Amino acid sequence: MRPLDPRLIARIGPARRYVLVTAVLGVLTALLILAQALVIARVLSPVLAPTSLPSSDAAADGLGWLGHLVPQSARELPVGLAWLACIVALRTGVMWVQERQAHRAGTRVVSELRLAVVTHAATLGLRWSASGRAADITTLVTRGLDNLLPYFVRYLPQLFLAATVTPIMVVVVLGLDMTSAVIVLVTLPLVPVFMILIGRLTESRSASHLVAMQRLGSQTLDLISGIPTLRGLGRAQGPAVRVRELGEAHRRATMASLRVAFLSGMVLELLTTLSVALVAVSMGFRLADGAIGIETALAVLVLAPEVYLPIRNVGTHFHASADGIAAADAAFTFLDERTDTRPRTGPAPALVGTPVSLNGLCVLAAGGRMAPNSLSFEAAPGKLTVLVGPNGEGKSTALAALAGLVVPDAGEVFSGGVTLGSAHAAVDDASWTRQCAWVPQRPDLRPAGRSLSLGQRQRIALDRALDSDRPVLLLDEPTAHLDRAGRGEVIAAIVAAAAAGRTVVVTTHEAELRDVADALVEVRA
Amino acid sequence: MRRGSALREAIRNTGISRWAYARSVLAGTAALGSAVGLAAVAAWLIGRAAQLPNPADLALAAVAVRFFGIGRGVFRYVERLTSHDTALRGVVRLRERTYIALASASARTVLSLRRGDIVARAGADLDAVGDAVVRCLIPVGVAVSVSVLAAVIVGSQLLVAGLALAVILALAGIVPAVLTSRAARIAADAGVVAAAEVAAASLTAVEASTEHSVWDEDGAALAAVASANRATEDAADAAARPAALAAAAQTFFSGLGLIAGIAFGVIAARNGDISGPAAAVVALTPLAAFEAVGAIPAAIMQFHRSSVAAARLSQMSEEPDASTTSGGTAPATLALTGLSVGWPGATPTLAITAAAAPGTVLALAGRSGIGKTTMLLTTTGALDPVAGTALFGDARLTPADAGRTYALTLEDAHLFGTSVLENLRVARSEVSEDDAWNVLTRVGLDSWARGLPDGLATELGSGGHTVSGGERRRLLMARALLADVSLQLLDEPGEHLDTAGIAAFGAALGEMRAKGRSVVIVTHDESVMAIADEVVNLDEP
Repeated sequence: MRPLDPRLIARIGPARRYVLVTAVLGVLTALLILAQALVIARVLSPVLAPTSLPSSDAAADGLGWLGHLVPQSARELPVGLAWLACIVALRTGVMWVQERQAHRAGTRVVSELRLAVVTHAATLGLRWSASGRAADITTLVTRGLDNLLPYFVRYLPQLFLAATVTPIMVVVVLGLDMTSAVIVLVTLPLVPVFMILIGRLTESRSASHLVAMQRLGSQTLDLISGIPTLRGLGRAQGPAVRVRELGEAHRRATMASLRVAFLSGMVLELLTTLSVALVAVSMGFRLADGAIGIETALAVLVLAPEVYLPIRNVGTHFHASADGIAAADAAFTFLDERTDTRPRTGPAPALVGTPVSLNGLCVLAAGGRMAPNSLSFEAAPGKLTVLVGPNGEGKSTALAALAGLVVPDAGEVFSGGVTLGSAHAAVDDASWTRQCAWVPQRPDLRPAGRSLSLGQRQRIALDRALDSDRPVLLLDEPTAHLDRAGRGEVIAAIVAAAAAGRTVVVTTHEAELRDVADALVEVRA
Repeated sequence: MRRGSALREAIRNTGISRWAYARSVLAGTAALGSAVGLAAVAAWLIGRAAQLPNPADLALAAVAVRFFGIGRGVFRYVERLTSHDTALRGVVRLRERTYIALASASARTVLSLRRGDIVARAGADLDAVGDAVVRCLIPVGVAVSVSVLAAVIVGSQLLVAGLALAVILALAGIVPAVLTSRAARIAADAGVVAAAEVAAASLTAVEASTEHSVWDEDGAALAAVASANRATEDAADAAARPAALAAAAQTFFSGLGLIAGIAFGVIAARNGDISGPAAAVVALTPLAAFEAVGAIPAAIMQFHRSSVAAARLSQMSEEPDASTTSGGTAPATLALTGLSVGWPGATPTLAITAAAAPGTVLALAGRSGIGKTTMLLTTTGALDPVAGTALFGDARLTPADAGRTYALTLEDAHLFGTSVLENLRVARSEVSEDDAWNVLTRVGLDSWARGLPDGLATELGSGGHTVSGGERRRLLMARALLADVSLQLLDEPGEHLDTAGIAAFGAALGEMRAKGRSVVIVTHDESVMAIADEVVNLDEP
């Protein structure tokens, strides 16, 4: 897993700005932490030092070349406190700006990605939107991308602090005390090494535990979901014992997995805290020997935990943000998908008064078969063409192909000697599709449609198609979900539309509609 | 407030003892207390070392520093395991209690739940109550005890500095908590609505994208997503304002604690009130003391999330079922007399009079939404009739009669994610394998079952063998046939059945007739109506 997806930076404006701001604030934070540590060393050393500290002698300054950053006057309590007050005020401000930026950038990035994914989904066509992938993408844009928020608000800033504060502090400690720097430099690489080692060791065990956990969890939910059914049979009380047994098994499986999963967290904390302890102990003894000065010791003591803090936080937020990175990755992978790359041959001819025909149309369906398989017919203007055949043989697909909503795998759609669409080329989408009044099964009708029943939605969508001035009417099972009276009205309107000279193609299972057909076409896979 | 009390109730129902809770807080205190201890002892060590003592004087402190250095990681591991184990045990108990509450809730509660997604969300909601323990109660407990510990350590060296640290720690906990709480409320009020709009707009735009492009509406659909997006951005921004202030307040108060520690320490040391090492402890302990209260904003967010989940869960056990059995087990006639039914607030159905004598089949027909299923439910006593009566023999049935007097098979009846055999045993626990093969043959599923990888032991449902609509309907029919009751109520039994399926269903009905069962079916399928002895149409005349 990449900690920072380059596509986020390259393609999402708010993400780029945010990364820049966070990088700058990260450096600023590092400098403030450094200054704070030096001031603490300055202001505390006079009361701890056995003898008065050397003054104005730059060579003897306990802070070495870093002493230039914080003047020796900070050894005076009022001056030192004033410095600290300024530093605290600045750190508070930096924190506020960082948090504001993070939330804003996070929600904007989520918004932009969501809109991009939805826009892209709208271009992928019917076969895609009917596939299971559409449901995955809907889940991605409604829930998955929200996981980017903790990534932006918690993880990224810590990642930048790990990239700014940690190296700067290492250099500073190096400048102050070589022994401490060696301890830090030896232990620091151990953190990622151990994390990766333990991650590898526990990965397979965790995965198998996870499967068991999910299985037990879903079995319990299954029992709860089945309560209305059990109540109908008077048998709801029995499974309570089973719920407890499953729950206990679930708990044992979860704990077994956590005992392993928490190990990496323990190693992380152990390494980072123990290193700080070792630095402190080593300095204590060298200070007692007079090998280092009090100011140096204090500065290193305060700085040592800061070296490890961002790394520890990165580890803490790693799992929470992994979901966000995975979601962003899924979004970008989806955005790079292209399903229809056929060259465009120009605008479609007018379809008024000219037949639209299929010639040997094949469309690949699930399971590797063709549905429809080599379908040819002519839908003539002024005629009602009815497509019949069992479910799954490709009636709806044939209807959608007439509107240019499906890319044929073989064969073509043509009208008046012009190929509208084949496997290799097509006319411009909009010029073709918008001459067709296509009504799918279960029409949508945004936004009022959601509160209506299926039958009501069907009627409204049919009325819109019938009332439109589009020459080609393509209706997928127009009488489904309607009661008898409604069916009669719809059939009359369809017949009237054909009589008025429009090209009407419908699919159906119903005898009433079949009886009024001018042409019957049997669709076979 | 109702939400908060629902969470309290849910946590009470987890049955987590004070001792179990205290054990986790203790381990957490040992972990973060180690960090405070490390800072305090290391400060003392440096302060003492500066006085150039005999190195032996530093030995004990050096050991303590190393101990705390190891302690933090080890105790944290112990705390995470203890707290998760405590919470998981609590969730197991809560899950069982919730199941029992729902299994014995009034039929009306169960039916209204069936309509919403409360049951579907129950798993996540139960876990959220456990999260309230792990991510809210225990961290807050740890924050309080570690803060007290830090103030006591500093106060033992210099009382006034300890008191000041205690006050600043309290502020560092309370101020961000209040601000975070405000952020959570804004997010819950505006944010949830906006998120629902985004979800609805995105769903429409993705699923109906083809239709939109045909009707030149894709621009409008995307504009709806964009505007819903802006609404979430605004809501998130409103919630982020206090959240950012909370983060800034934490930085501010921990800085203030440091400044106070240094001021008190240095002044007291200059006045000769305390030694140098003591001043170092007073000045530097605050650097580590604020980590525990830093966990409070996340705990507050978790509290709000868990409260919402607990409020949903509490709906599952609102009113317990008080009904007692009243129907007999002998064959009898179901008589519907002037019966009109309806959910409260909905238009009631026509009043109908009809009967299902033993060995006959009564069909309730009519267009969808007219109230056929409601009539079935009213017959079972789950709902009160709007007018008229439904009597089986001379008794009004109650939900407690289910499985004794009647069996109700709803249209969306559940197939459990377990074996075929266990799914049949749902009707009657003593069903043998022979019984099962027998009944599967009667509903025409024998060849299907023989084709299953593990026969009757094959697991169904998610993670198991998927079942088609027609197969599902036949399995439910087999289950109904196994229920030994004198009144069978079947909702849409012909749905998804092909001609052969309808024929098998007709044979099954014949079997029920022969056994003298009274049968009521709800259907809009004319081929199913044809099998019935009497058809009552609920449509307006």
